[in-house]
Amino acid sequence: MGNEPEHNEVRAGAAPPEQTSAASPAGPSAAPGTLGAAPAVRIQGLWKKFGEQIAVHGIDLTLPAGRFIGLVGPNGAGKTTTLSMVTGLLRPDSGVVEIGGHDVWGDPVAVKSRIGVLPEGLRLFERLSGRELLAYMGRLRGLPGDEVDKRAGQLLDVLDLAGSQHKLVVDYSTGMRKKIGLAAALLHNPEILFLDEPFEGVDPVSAQTIRGVLERYTASGATVIFSSHVMELVESLCDWVAVMAGGRIRADGPLAEVRGAAPTLQDAFLELVGANDRGAGQSLDWLGGGGAR
Amino acid sequence: MSTESTAVAAPRAAAPNLTAVFVRLKLTLLRNGLRQSAGRTVAYVSSVIVGLLFAAGAVLGLIALRGNVHVGALAVLLTGILTLGWAVMPMFFPTGDETLDPTRLVMLPLRPRPLIGSLLVTSLIGIGPVVTLALVTGAVVALADGPAAALVGVLAVVLVVLVCVALARAVATASVRLLTSRRGRDLAVLSGLFIALGAQAVNIAAQKLGRPDGLAVLEPLGDVLRWLPPASAIGAVEATGQGAYGRAVAGMALAAVALALLLFWWQRSLTALMTSPDSSTLQAVEKDSARRSGSGEGGLVRLLPGGRTGPVMLRTLRYAWRDPKSKMSWATALGAGLLAPIVSSVQGNGSIYTAFSAPALLGLQMYNQFGQDTSAFWMVASTIATPRDAYQELRARACTLALVAVPYVTLVSVGAAAFIGPWSDFLQVYGLSLALLGALIGTGAVTSVIFPYSIPSEGNKNVAPGQGSIAWFSLFGGVLVGALLCAPLLGLTIWLHVAGLHHLLWILLPLGVLYGTGAAVLGLRLAAPRTVRRLPEILAAVSKG
Repeated sequence: MGNEPEHNEVRAGAAPPEQTSAASPAGPSAAPGTLGAAPAVRIQGLWKKFGEQIAVHGIDLTLPAGRFIGLVGPNGAGKTTTLSMVTGLLRPDSGVVEIGGHDVWGDPVAVKSRIGVLPEGLRLFERLSGRELLAYMGRLRGLPGDEVDKRAGQLLDVLDLAGSQHKLVVDYSTGMRKKIGLAAALLHNPEILFLDEPFEGVDPVSAQTIRGVLERYTASGATVIFSSHVMELVESLCDWVAVMAGGRIRADGPLAEVRGAAPTLQDAFLELVGANDRGAGQSLDWLGGGGAR
Repeated sequence: MSTESTAVAAPRAAAPNLTAVFVRLKLTLLRNGLRQSAGRTVAYVSSVIVGLLFAAGAVLGLIALRGNVHVGALAVLLTGILTLGWAVMPMFFPTGDETLDPTRLVMLPLRPRPLIGSLLVTSLIGIGPVVTLALVTGAVVALADGPAAALVGVLAVVLVVLVCVALARAVATASVRLLTSRRGRDLAVLSGLFIALGAQAVNIAAQKLGRPDGLAVLEPLGDVLRWLPPASAIGAVEATGQGAYGRAVAGMALAAVALALLLFWWQRSLTALMTSPDSSTLQAVEKDSARRSGSGEGGLVRLLPGGRTGPVMLRTLRYAWRDPKSKMSWATALGAGLLAPIVSSVQGNGSIYTAFSAPALLGLQMYNQFGQDTSAFWMVASTIATPRDAYQELRARACTLALVAVPYVTLVSVGAAAFIGPWSDFLQVYGLSLALLGALIGTGAVTSVIFPYSIPSEGNKNVAPGQGSIAWFSLFGGVLVGALLCAPLLGLTIWLHVAGLHHLLWILLPLGVLYGTGAAVLGLRLAAPRTVRRLPEILAAVSKG
């Protein structure tokens, strides 16, 4: 990632001219958590139904800028649907989403250049090599070619992908895919990064690499919003948490506040979701002991 | 689904009789496969009927040829083709038979030697072995002359069928690494192309053999195949009938040795497979030296324009080469576009207007542009914010198509004029071709946005289940509109002909160029704002399946 001046200069180059003048104080150079700064994300009355099933059940949520934010919940809680709608990849049935004060559906120009996305369950252009993919995405974002190649080289180095940069993404492992996806999401130096399950199926070494990059990125004042169902991970990474279950937000706020009196976030979460009394009962009494058959 | 029950059922019953277990497993898999849907049952039953009818026809044909001088060569050749079919079958249908996949058995406590016997017996169940048995029997009946030959014939039939089945198993086992790898799956997608090419070859061969005394052509080939197992066993039947017992013994021995070697090879690769890590834990070995120079990029890439256009064109061109689905569709369009004029030129009664198949088929490549991206379209969607972005994206894709299509259409038009003629019609055909190409690019851009559908990346299907009607509607509707768009030019052509103004026909070339460009640009302009409005809907449509 560049230093601060380069940061701003490139953003001005990357964004269409009409947007530069409208840039809000929520830029990455603004101090994190400044009073009066627009929140990173503001969601109001967000609904999404798939047939009969309600995936997202009228969410209201405000996420502050400059934080490392975790969206946690069990499988099927609506995390992916919510993140897809927030990033403009899925149209909500109703509701308002604002990113940095700009409406996602009303002002896509302002929003799309400010966010980086790593969705879950969608493919990449897998028949490109890692380096070609970054070169393609950077140029699509309107960055100058030399700058794209420079940044791509640095990202590939930092993410430990330099050795596989000429391999097709289709031959990458899960961890490598997540890393190249992260690189593609960071290439245009977004203010807010949305990551859907960035650590799912990732080996510990890659996970540590991803973690390091994300921590460096938030330290510069940028916002990371990621979803996960691994509580320990969220607890160790995030300073702000939103708990989702059954398509609703059950709790949100600073980590300590959501955790409350519970010893760990895991316990607090199970209490919120109401699933902490489901032990392995007597029905598996034959299991273990090393007896035959 | 069925595999789970397999894994549970196999070890429990393994103790009594392995062969019986595998036979039952195969029958269960067949039955469960049929139970999945009525359509599958119908498809299976009709394939059985077609297979049996084909076999019956071939057998009757062979028996009718009994006594023909060249029937020996034909029977031997038929056996050779059958064997070849068995050898390549696992390449094209790697997932066709689940019991063919030895990796599913790796976790079971089985030894290779008894396993091979059981698997060989299991492989004999199915429509393929039955058809093979019928064909080989037919060949032997056509050849066998005398009781000795009949006796050898029975042995030969058994040997040939066993060699065929063992060959398919051995090849599948030896190449399972390849077949389960990405390259193998890519190959399977392209298999349709090979089958189409093979069908053409068969077609041409059949025409040649259909001529009087056509069978004589086979003799040189038959002479070679008579010494190649397992066709050598069929050769042995003929040799026995002719009293050449030495040749007969040699032929049978060759086939038997081949069977033994195949079983040995099969057992070795099975052992290797079951005692080494499976492909999912191995990193794909890749030749990436070609792409290593990629960052610098060769001279031609530098010629691509900057901005959004160049990268999109480069990506599309790379996909045309690297993505099996894109490659397949490009190859089909280029091949089929050429086929009509060539066939018509060979037959000698063709028309220069068959050259229109080139712009028609290449123009269709513009349809369902975003479906070709699969769900990776989100990467495109996340960078499109204005109609201008969308216009540039679509224009770049159209330019890529034009980059290939315009020279190709030129080539086909010139070729048609040269080989079919007359040259006097060249300018109007060329002009109308370019107009048609432009119209299809324009309507293709619009339908790509209004009727996107997803293309499953694996298998031979080009439309995800449930989206077939969208696909047909967009293709047929688009082609119809594209043709209608060309109506004014067609009208002008006809009028010029009717009015006898032949000296003015050249005007159709500049008009066609203008008209095609105009139609394409208009289509792109209409499609661009709709693309921006429908980005999430397009993404949802192309992510299905």
